[in-house]
Formats: sequence, C-alpha cells, structure tokens
Amino acid sequence: MKKNMNRRNFLKFSSAGVASALAASTGLVSWTPRAEAATINQTFNITEGFITQPDGVDVYFRGFSPDTASLTVPGAQMIVQEGDTVNITINNTLGTDHSFVIDGLVNSGIIAAGSSTTVSFVANSAGSYLYYDGLNAPYNRLVGLHGAFSVMPSGSSNELYAGSPTFVQQYNWVTNDIDPAWHDAVRLNTTPTSTFKPYYFTINGRSMRVPGHADYADPAIDSGYATDTRLEGSIGDRTLVRILNAGMCVHSMHFHANHVEVLARDGQAFSDIWLKDVVRLPNNIGSVDVIYPFDPPPDAHPPVTTGSFPMHMHDEMTQTAGGGLYQFGAATTIKFL
Amino acid sequence: MFNIFERHTPMMGMGGGACYVYPDAPATIGEVTPDITFDRGIYMNGSMTMDDGVNVEIWGFTDGGGGNQFPSPAIRVTEGQIVHTNLTVNGMMWLHTIHHHGIEPSQENDGVGHYSFDVDGTYTYQWKASHAGTYFYHCHTNTVLHAEMGMYGGLIIDPPEGWGTLYAGGPTYDVEAIWACDEIDSSWHNLNWDAGTCGGDVGLNSLNPDYFIITGVDGAQSALTDPGVAVTMNVGQKLLVRYICAGYLPQRINFGGLTATVHMSDGRALPKPVQVTELETSSAERYDCIFEPTTAGVYEVTVDYLDWVTGAVVGTARTRINVN
Repeated sequence: MKKNMNRRNFLKFSSAGVASALAASTGLVSWTPRAEAATINQTFNITEGFITQPDGVDVYFRGFSPDTASLTVPGAQMIVQEGDTVNITINNTLGTDHSFVIDGLVNSGIIAAGSSTTVSFVANSAGSYLYYDGLNAPYNRLVGLHGAFSVMPSGSSNELYAGSPTFVQQYNWVTNDIDPAWHDAVRLNTTPTSTFKPYYFTINGRSMRVPGHADYADPAIDSGYATDTRLEGSIGDRTLVRILNAGMCVHSMHFHANHVEVLARDGQAFSDIWLKDVVRLPNNIGSVDVIYPFDPPPDAHPPVTTGSFPMHMHDEMTQTAGGGLYQFGAATTIKFL
Repeated sequence: MFNIFERHTPMMGMGGGACYVYPDAPATIGEVTPDITFDRGIYMNGSMTMDDGVNVEIWGFTDGGGGNQFPSPAIRVTEGQIVHTNLTVNGMMWLHTIHHHGIEPSQENDGVGHYSFDVDGTYTYQWKASHAGTYFYHCHTNTVLHAEMGMYGGLIIDPPEGWGTLYAGGPTYDVEAIWACDEIDSSWHNLNWDAGTCGGDVGLNSLNPDYFIITGVDGAQSALTDPGVAVTMNVGQKLLVRYICAGYLPQRINFGGLTATVHMSDGRALPKPVQVTELETSSAERYDCIFEPTTAGVYEVTVDYLDWVTGAVVGTARTRINVN
C-alpha cells in the first residue's frame, strides 16, 4: 500500500531517507489532568524540505520539526494545562531568521539564522492556540511553520474551558491553503509577487485520498485515515475538535451525519451553543472549537449507529488538488465504530 | 454489514476519462413504504439568460418529467415523514448523486459518491425528516463542479402544524421567501461532468464569479422585481426568509434597514433568537429570518459576495422587500 514513502516528505539537504515525518503525530490528543501545575519542556528544530502533493508535485515547506533530520508540517501538537510553565527551545537550522509566536502567550522575537533560543511562559488561559512563525508574515507561517497548542482548564479532562459542555476525546485540526508559487518564492528567499492562488488544501498537513488511489487508507498520507485527523467514535463519544486555520482563506466546515455544537470562535466562547452542520472558520489564525456528539444519525431510517461519513470544506474549491482531482482536498472521515 | 469498498471498484478511464467515481444503484437497505416520494432525473442542457443577455449553461435535477427548472424543484415534507427520493441517472454519459444537505441519514443514503456510490440507473434514497427547518439538496459527484453548475434545490421540512409555522411550537409567518444566494463563474460552465477527476489543472481551485444570483434569478437587476424572489407584503404581516448560502464564497446579506429575528440556522432552533440587520455567512449555511416591518416602504436587500482571502466585495445581488 505504501509507495514512495521516502518521497512523501523529504529533506531538501538530506541524503538519508526520512520516512517518519508526516507520521510523527500520535493520534488523537491524550490528556490526563494534574492537580498541580507542571513545567513542560519542548524542543523544535526549524527545518525545510519538500512534501509531495496528491498530484505528485513536490512543494517546498518549512516546519517546526522534532529533530534536525526531518520535516514535520504542522509541528507536533502540544497540550498543557492552565498554570503550567512552558519552556520551548527552538533551533533554527536554516539560513533565514524565524520566530515562535503564540498570540497572547509568547513571542520569541527574532531567532537568527543558525541560532537557538528558549522561550518560557505561563499558559495562563485555557483554549486553542496556533503557534507559528510571525516573521516575514504571512509567508513563513503559510509555508509550514505552525502547529496546535492547547491549554486545558486546570485539573479538567473534559472541558474546553471551565464549565463548558464536556467531551470524552479531543482532536486538533490545523488547516492550510497552499500556493506553490508562494512556497517557491520563500524557498528562494524572495517575497511572493503573484496574487495568492492556492492549489492544495490540507488538514494537519495532509489531503484526502479515495478508493482506487494507491495511497488510499495510508494513515501517513491520506487525511481520511491519518490518526490525528480522522474522527472515530462510538455512540456518545462526544469529541472536541479544535480547528485552527493557518491559511489565508475563510473556510466553511461541513460535518455529515451529526450537527456540531459550536463552543467558541477565535477564542471567544459563545454563551449560547448553536447546533450547526456548517461552521465558518475565519482565516489567518482564525479558530473554531466544536463538539461532534457522535449521536446516532438522526434522519436514518431504519436507524443506524455505524458508518463512515465525510467532514469536508463546503467552499468546494478546497476539495481539489492541482486545479482538479476532486476529493483530493481538505477533508477527513468521521467513522462511527 | 454493507461494505461499499469491497463491493465496488472505482471506474477509471471509462468513456470521457472519469476517475474516482463509483457507479452503482443497489437496492435500498431496509426499504419501507414511504409517506412521500419525490422523483428526480437529470438535465445537463439547461441555460440561464443573464441580465446582460449572456446565456450560461446550467445543469440540474428534473421532477422526473420534462422541464429544466433552476434551482431544481424543491423537496418539501413534513416532520416525521419517511421520504423516498428516487434519483434516475441514465448513466451512459455521466454519474450523479443527491446529498440532502443537513439531513443526516445512513452512509448509503447520504449521497456521497466515494463513501457509497454514484448513481448509475435508479436509486431510492430513504430518509426520515426528523427536524423541521431549511435545508437544500445537491449533487455530490465531482461536487465542486456539479453544484456550481446549478445542481441544487431547496429542501424544507415543515413542522406538524404545516406551512405557516417555522418549527413545532415555534414562530409563525404569513409570507415566505426562499433566497438561495449563489455566484456563477461562467468560465467553469463549459466543462465536462468529469472534468479534472483524472487530474490536470482545469481551474476548479479558483472561482472567479461574474454573475451573482438569488434563487436562479440574476441579482444585477432581475431579482429586484422577479415575483419569485422579491417580496410584497403588508404592515402587520410576518415574513419568513429562508436564506441559503448556495455558493462557495462567503456572503454578507444586508436587509436594507429592516431587522431580522433569526430563529433557526441549519435546521435547528437557536437557544435564543438573535436580531440582526445583516448576516455574514459561509458556504451552505442556512438562516431562517422573520421580519415584522412596521413602516411601509421599499427595502432593498443586498447580498455581497466576498473574496475568500481578502474579504473584498467581488459582486453584489439585490432584491426587495416591498411593504404596503
């Protein structure tokens, strides 16, 4: 099933095969609350390379990677709890300046080419955040320097914020829109001059594959099977999805089989929880937090409790790759177990 | 258990070169006698004449007979009914599905090709109308193109009280309008049904609309007066506007000085209705808005279609609420 794994995501300057980069994520986010705040240490390496898109085109990316010999886009999901002290060391292996920013929490300032820095901050407010490179905005962020950072309410395992509707499992989806011309300009250390025109659309760095395609159902490649993206649950497995938009386009997230409860947008909790089958996702670090309830699909007759359904963006240009290839865009599968 | 991926082999390279489509028309699992039935066929030779005189090719669903209505004929049922939607596709040339958007049936009846099948022959979609509200239905084969080509229609579930009540025990209305607001990129409207499915850049990542329509009527001028779009009502009456964001771009609808009370969205009642003078929406959202104008007048409603990157207005459709 897996073909050309060493081509899917390879380092520009590495001669060794780097197979694990896209598979580095560890599935849905696991979390055990603590009574006391802790100190969390994390290291990121800013690296570069190419990622093969669904139509076979290799596109240049940079990422916050786990080591200097790999490329991970987006960077690893982080989850901490309110009050934790977070120390993040960033090694910039590239010849360009970068930074590490979480709006409202931390801004490293310039991390010069070839240098390292450590930022320390207290995660003082529960919620869903994007970490990203704020330099050369928005280009460095768009070419892959971003990832999800979640802060749990203190001592809680099942709330977005203290007193929120509860869930039993949680996922992060980081979306992006990819214009290869812009990525190539960044590769050449120039500023893009063309109008932004995305050709690829991703969730957690991957696009959809469908039955009949060689990479269908490969969790390292297919966003419908990637364990950090695909929603799986049995009836009642209420699932928090923290959706963060690293890209430039406003999107419309359409969930099949269940309406979602919309808890927050751009970090602002709603006092009234609306039930929606479509949720607007703002662009440029916009976010929305929803709970997919995994209720039996209400309109099935006879009733069902199992099945596979899509979540896809309804601004359907996003369901393409390379200007065609419908179904190879920003989508995933919701699996009722 | 029905396992679609073992039963079906995707059709690749057949005929016009379609890839990643899944032709089939199996028996409906657990089929029962329905409370109401809708027959739908396909037309792919329709056209819409714009206010500038240009004819744009339109595809859609028929009611099983002749006629090329755009939008496709509405499906209107009552809460609690078991519904059959019989889709017939004479599949020598093309494939299509019906996804009842916002309706949440079983996998086999959800109308998404790569999770079930693209209808080749006749398939009976069976579903239960569980929640009153405003929905729509559209094709989910090569969706990016087929929905843009016009393959959609309204889908309304009335509560047991029937026409005139939004949801069971909910607000009432005397006048109803259905505004499906959509944009058209005419450069897409000469593509084949399977365009791009085997790869290649056919431009489906880039929507650059040149027409902006409301419920199948050009919003440049015609929708200002078209009796199927523009509203005429009296002071003292309650108007329900069922707004459907049928396009792909974000929209901003401004009610021309009137205040809407939004009672429902996406087929679900809001915990508390909200009052707005305009709404910002995104693709496939629905909002059910009730107006109780107290002053006679002509209120011009504008629908701005927004660039998905910059938010700039790329086009505007207009209609009117005439209050006597």
